[in-house]
Amino acid sequence: MSSETIDKTEISRRSFLSLAALWSAVLPAIALLGGIFRMVKPDVHYEESIRFRIGTAENFPVGTMKKLDDKKVFIFSTDNGLHAISSICTHLGCIVNITEWGFQCPCHGSRYNQNGKVIAGPAPRSLSWHEISQDIDGSLVVDASREVPAGTVLKLKA
Amino acid sequence: MNGLKNSGIGRFTSNIIGLRDSFLKSFLREGKPTTDLSRTAVMANNFFLHVQGAKVHINTLRPGYTLGLGLISLYLLLITVVTGILLMIYYNPSIENAYNTVKDVNYVVFTGRLLRNMHKWGGEGMIISVILHMARVFYTNSYKKGREFNWIIGVALLILTFGINLSGYMLPWDQLSYWALVIVANIIQSPKEVTDVLGITKLFDIGTFSKELFLGGLNAGKEALTRVYLLHIMLLPLILFIFLGVHFWRIRKDGGLTKPEGFEIKDSDTRYISGQERKAEVFPANKTYGLMELVKAKTPAVNRDIENNVLSWPNLILAETAVFFFTLAVVMVYSFYINAPLRELANPLIPENPAKAPWYFLGLQELLSYSAFMGGVGLPGLALLGLALIPYLDREQQQIGVWFSGKRGKYIALESLVVGSVVLIGLLAIVIKYGWLRTWWPDIPQLFIILINPGNIWVGFMIIWSLFVIKRTDSTRMGAIALFTMFLLSYVILTYVGTELRGPNWAFYWSKSQWPLH
Amino acid sequence: MRKRFYLWVLFLSGLVLIAYISLTTYKEKTPEWKKHQAEYKELLIRNAKDEDIRKRAREMDIRLQQLYLGELNRIDRCISCHTGVENPLMADEKVPFKKHSGDYLKNHSVERFGCTVCHLGQGRAVNKKEAHGIGRETYWDYPITKLEFIQTSCALCHDLTFLKDKGGEKVVAGERLFRQKGCKGCHKLEGVGGVLGKSLDGIGSQPIAYFPMRYIKGEQTVAQWIREHEEEPRRVVSDSQMRVDVTPEEADFLTTYIMSLRAEEIPKKLRRLTGARLPDEIKDEGEALYKMYCIACHGSGKESVFDDAFKRTIPAITNPSFLRVADDKFIRENIEEGRAGTQMTAWKSAAAGLTEKQIEKIMRYTTKDRPKERPTQFGYSGYKVNVNKGEEIYASRCASCHGEYGEGGIGLNLRNPVVQNADPEMLAKTIRDGRESTLMVSFGSKDGGLNAQGIADVVAYIRTLSKKEYKLH
Repeated sequence: MSSETIDKTEISRRSFLSLAALWSAVLPAIALLGGIFRMVKPDVHYEESIRFRIGTAENFPVGTMKKLDDKKVFIFSTDNGLHAISSICTHLGCIVNITEWGFQCPCHGSRYNQNGKVIAGPAPRSLSWHEISQDIDGSLVVDASREVPAGTVLKLKA
Repeated sequence: MNGLKNSGIGRFTSNIIGLRDSFLKSFLREGKPTTDLSRTAVMANNFFLHVQGAKVHINTLRPGYTLGLGLISLYLLLITVVTGILLMIYYNPSIENAYNTVKDVNYVVFTGRLLRNMHKWGGEGMIISVILHMARVFYTNSYKKGREFNWIIGVALLILTFGINLSGYMLPWDQLSYWALVIVANIIQSPKEVTDVLGITKLFDIGTFSKELFLGGLNAGKEALTRVYLLHIMLLPLILFIFLGVHFWRIRKDGGLTKPEGFEIKDSDTRYISGQERKAEVFPANKTYGLMELVKAKTPAVNRDIENNVLSWPNLILAETAVFFFTLAVVMVYSFYINAPLRELANPLIPENPAKAPWYFLGLQELLSYSAFMGGVGLPGLALLGLALIPYLDREQQQIGVWFSGKRGKYIALESLVVGSVVLIGLLAIVIKYGWLRTWWPDIPQLFIILINPGNIWVGFMIIWSLFVIKRTDSTRMGAIALFTMFLLSYVILTYVGTELRGPNWAFYWSKSQWPLH
Repeated sequence: MRKRFYLWVLFLSGLVLIAYISLTTYKEKTPEWKKHQAEYKELLIRNAKDEDIRKRAREMDIRLQQLYLGELNRIDRCISCHTGVENPLMADEKVPFKKHSGDYLKNHSVERFGCTVCHLGQGRAVNKKEAHGIGRETYWDYPITKLEFIQTSCALCHDLTFLKDKGGEKVVAGERLFRQKGCKGCHKLEGVGGVLGKSLDGIGSQPIAYFPMRYIKGEQTVAQWIREHEEEPRRVVSDSQMRVDVTPEEADFLTTYIMSLRAEEIPKKLRRLTGARLPDEIKDEGEALYKMYCIACHGSGKESVFDDAFKRTIPAITNPSFLRVADDKFIRENIEEGRAGTQMTAWKSAAAGLTEKQIEKIMRYTTKDRPKERPTQFGYSGYKVNVNKGEEIYASRCASCHGEYGEGGIGLNLRNPVVQNADPEMLAKTIRDGRESTLMVSFGSKDGGLNAQGIADVVAYIRTLSKKEYKLH
């Protein structure tokens, strides 16, 4: 009777150890695997900042458009104010050209109207409008990481 | 009903329902490893496991016999391979970027510093574990009975381990890397010393040729970094893995690890075994399965020592897994606390003083300080040749698988250790205190320095002492023990002297705190 | 415990791994900069002027920030801790949250220039110790510049003409001292200058390992090394021959200027260097050149000086009695060819790099006090000379100062080509008349005790000196 009980605890302790050992191997293995993927994701980008200054309002007289090639953005200055439209086609990332009726992507024929709204071709979304703001010192800042609804313009303080 | 079941759609539906079982069955062809037959089958049919036998001798499972050193070396290699691939994601092998990318691994890559440490210490740990593994194989007399050639492959793997570590040392392109590269390039060039003495350098400049081959130029620069990088990540690992495959394959063909002839099973062996209950005997004799049925290949020549064999699954696999996690834990903890060194950006105008090679070569650098050729090429070449030839010069087939081949071997090893220490330390003391030939006769020809220097004298002493032991004990095995002990001893002592006792201008200092300020 | 050895190994190793994976994750998630940024965010919320700004401050996400400076090929992560460097609301906060002082950032936008181009330090590092790079165990060649030397960085992109009234007073003052203390007499800069000292091109960006720090009393930095080396050259470098005499303030200015001599090439787009030089306060160009190249050794040139470091006498080159016998050709030749075997450098364009015109101007300046009256002719060619007799006289009368082989000592070196090829007439006149204000006495006078024949014999012997073998000990 007593010997049987001892046998049972023996077994349960053994299988508990097996189980504990198994999990203490599996858990770090999973954690390490996860860590590897986390490590592969870069924490910093070796790229120019997507938040950038474009000078003061004098550079953008009302009624003009400026294409900033290296920043991939169009800056429009209208009576209402300033707005920035991305020149990156929402289909596969080509750079759109400006035309008299809006924007034309040379790669797969997507077309956008003057507000960047898609009107033809495979593009899934309209061209994005970037947030444009005025810093304390008066310089204009475009933040390509912040999208604003189409039609949002920056009213310049007189 | 039956008709529906037999119809195409019916079979398709039941295939979907039975997907899990049929997938598992295709994966584990013989079902779950719950019976002896299926356990054997796992070992034989799994690609990764089949290099090991379905059964394993209990002696192999005793940690006191193998010390797990071969496995630890393999696992350290795996750790360095995985961390190495991860580091390659961020590393850029150009002299403009190499240093910056290594810095960024330290600063802005998630766990980058830890991974770099693990890569570094894993690699250097491999040198230690491989040397200890070699010592284990040697002292248990395991290089015999058909294992002679595997010993040579082991020596090749040792050289490759050194080579991979050294080439990796040069990649960060900091001051340590650069000056180690310069030193190594000059070691490679050192046969010029001999051709100069012989006066044939103009006709046959093998030294400069080798150096150019290594550096891609006459000076360490961007060509050199490209070549070293190629060696580190491609060429040397490729060769290493090929040799490693052969190394394992031959172990399998030789019937697993060695074991003593009069093997006796002990009660304590049960703690290394699982899945088998102890009965009247220590273990019951299991039914064995002819491998012919399972793998349809030639049966390896295993010793028919059935009663002392246990199933590899789960016994061996558990032991191997445990050693893997043990190794990983040790490397991780060490790397958590100790950072891999990273000095200033390489500056060809300002040598580090002392410009030291990585620690595992500092024994050689000590020899180099006597003669570049003998220290860098002659003596290491001789030592490696001697190591490789041990199984062919000692062919006594008794006491295989026994530590030190018994009591007498233990005594000889101890005796050689003491005698060797006295002689080597004495020799080094003379050199450090009184200098050598050139100190006494400044105009002595280089030929004499090459032929008569402390390194050569020490090697000569090792050979003479071993011959003396052979003569005294009438046993080549005892001579081999004496020689090998002294070889290990000189590696340890010379490395210690080079690492700790040599300061700026390779002068002698008792400790680093006595080094003159820069 | 005796059972299942490998299970226990596996279990315990697994536990250790779990513990250290957690520790590592914790360590990675709590870097030094995060603490600073969190504190900055609180300050931002507290300092906010209105609700809108406060709202935006609350939205600020704490993350590793860096300036990717494509034009400069640098990456600066300083703003991960110094986050408020551009924020006017942070003007009165403490470092590291403080706004940059002055209005320097107005024209040097942080996005374009970053931080390390002016302040040095290690831009990539993300902890204070390594980013500032102070202390040798940081293994970084360019520790952060102390504010007292920050002007050194301005001179990287701006002319001194621009800096002189825009906060670059120290470096401008240093440059003036550099020109007037004769530094280039021994140190080459931009290809021109003597060869006794080390070239100063790019000295400000030499790594610290280039400077032997053993005898430095103060902080072990490059600037401190240069300062102490100016104040006490032979304490810092035991075999230095540097002749310099500066006040502590002057040393400070000079150090600032010398530290601004950096090798870095800032892209043309970003710098405002036109190459304009400050106008020299000294109107006479000859005088300016003399001060730049000669004054460190020769001083005013009126008197000869025995220099302990040189172990020889520096001749009095503007002394009237010298000028009386030495003609322009001889002096010009001296400047152009230097005096081999002495510290006098050959200044011709192929050697130290002065143009013929400049040498001419220096020569005009040094000879401006030449007396009108010429010495009486000696008539060397009229004597029948006896070299052996000359040797006897030389050994007894000359060797004590000029050395047994003419190698010089208290007296000048007579073996060098300029003396050997000089007009014997001039040598004879010098021996006859001596040199005022130097130890060279007039041997032709009553006390000197040499007759004209004797002088001629000695001159003849001196002209054979270069053929005698002289071994340096």
